[in-house]
Amino acid sequence: MHYLLFHPIDRHAAASPDRTAFRCGKQAITYAELAERTNRLAHLLLAQGVQRGDRIGIYLPRSLDGAAAVHGILKAGAAYVPLDPEAPVARTRRLIDDCGIKVVFVAPALRRNFTALFAAPSPVNRVVGGDVEGVISLEWDALADYPATAPDLRILGDDLAYVMYTSGSTGEPKGIMHTHTSGLAYARLSRDLYNVQPDDVIGNHCALHYDISTFGYFTGPLAGATTVIVTDAHTKFPTSLLQLVEQERITIWYSVPLALLQMLRSPTLGERDLSALRWVLFGGEVFAPRHLRALMEHAPNARASNVYGPAEVNQCTYFHLAEAPDTDDPLPLGHVWNDTETLILDPDDGEVAEGEIGELLVRSATRMKGYWNRADLTARGFYYRERIPGNRETFYRTGDLVYRDADGLLQFMGRKDRQVKIRGHRVELEEVEAVLAAQPGVGEAAVYLREIGDNEKVIEALVVAESDWVGNPRTWIIAMGDQLPPHAVPVRIDLLPNLPRNDAGKIDRLAIREAITKSMP
Amino acid sequence: MEERILTFIKRELIDDDRIDLTADDDLLGSGLIGSMAVFRLIDFLEKSFSVRIPPEEMTIDHFMTVRAMSDYVRERQAVQKV
Repeated sequence: MHYLLFHPIDRHAAASPDRTAFRCGKQAITYAELAERTNRLAHLLLAQGVQRGDRIGIYLPRSLDGAAAVHGILKAGAAYVPLDPEAPVARTRRLIDDCGIKVVFVAPALRRNFTALFAAPSPVNRVVGGDVEGVISLEWDALADYPATAPDLRILGDDLAYVMYTSGSTGEPKGIMHTHTSGLAYARLSRDLYNVQPDDVIGNHCALHYDISTFGYFTGPLAGATTVIVTDAHTKFPTSLLQLVEQERITIWYSVPLALLQMLRSPTLGERDLSALRWVLFGGEVFAPRHLRALMEHAPNARASNVYGPAEVNQCTYFHLAEAPDTDDPLPLGHVWNDTETLILDPDDGEVAEGEIGELLVRSATRMKGYWNRADLTARGFYYRERIPGNRETFYRTGDLVYRDADGLLQFMGRKDRQVKIRGHRVELEEVEAVLAAQPGVGEAAVYLREIGDNEKVIEALVVAESDWVGNPRTWIIAMGDQLPPHAVPVRIDLLPNLPRNDAGKIDRLAIREAITKSMP
Repeated sequence: MEERILTFIKRELIDDDRIDLTADDDLLGSGLIGSMAVFRLIDFLEKSFSVRIPPEEMTIDHFMTVRAMSDYVRERQAVQKV
């Protein structure tokens, strides 16, 4: 019986040992090899004193080592915390501190960051896969010294499986906690929805710190399919990426819309044979119908699916298209999937009338446990309903505004708060504002989103400098680059004598929006 | 050419003059060069070495290392002279 995220790997290792579980670049690993490697890895971690519920960092490029680390950590009863190698070191240090990470998987290719990342004081006392000064360093070769059989541990579905960090409006990133049960519920529902089969080849474009990756790392193994981990290099060169989709005969693709858009722009699109594709999944952001149309022309056998769901609940709705859309109307969020209930509430938590706009709340087996070490944020993120005395039901407040149309489809109408999506990443503008306001010389700051043409969005800011400040706003941009991921750093900061305010004395964001729209280049 | 490209990457893209980087180091699998930096790198190569790099030739093989880039740029220079 499957109740833990790694169970499918062990089952396929027994039933079809030679089938490929993951491929990345020129490397591949079969289910039998992966089962054995992750068993040894779990023993190695346990020998280091790792205990159930410990959080273990994964600081690796997209790689087979990453796949082994994920499942090896889980087999040791611990939870993995993906750390973005492209994020500023100072931010990654904050995550390590916040989550109390003692062991981190590293790759020699990232060694230039090691000193700054692990310098004392740091909770990290061991790394696996590289050599870090002052920290006990274990090599992958050491795995040979550990047993190939599964460790005998009592791990429950309710145990913590992974923590993924996302932008937090308080100025600090927050860690989304998922259990084996919630992760596996997602894997089951997505396998069934897309009818993933053992002969499917899944194209996994997203890095581990992005929740979309759970499709490739968990749904793929559940179905006994092969997941192709797109290398970091391929993500930067759309022409090579297209070549990979063709060569690997990828049957199910899942990424943020940007990756699809980049491939669409490659002049080699017409030369590529994409006939193996049977599903193109995209999520994290809206995808313009005209681009989807262009894409579907080149993938004759593919159906498309608009995937919606905050990382807190993995996925909760879908909208399938068998044919290219014939209008430019935005794609609906669509249908609520199985084992999931939704509510649409007004600001007073009352249900809106049929067809009215309100906030979407989601109750599902795929829901997170809460935010790591932030009971306050967790309480604010949840809504409880008690229809049967003593049986409390928990809903996640998505912050997304929606309405149900006449066909019963959910339609997206924007955000309740100031969260924005940039290249598929969630950014709370308040977090950027808090980081900017903390820079020396900044009196007041207002951060806003500017759309620059086709699907491209950037962050810009207005600042009222302190009266004695002399300098160039560029220095703030550079300093913010050390604290925020690249997509969240303002590309431009303009100085103003004061910020527009409304009658209540609050920053008038509407006036800012009007002013910047007028100044559109 | 290798030296000029290395210097540009160190100073402009990584902002770290002292970093230990050679012409044979993997630039793309190490998080050294992000997606945005790729565009700046291509722009630098086109301007500095008077070549035009067509989008269909912007591939991993041509950009994995500084050496691969230099070989490719020389190839383009030769083609454009003809």
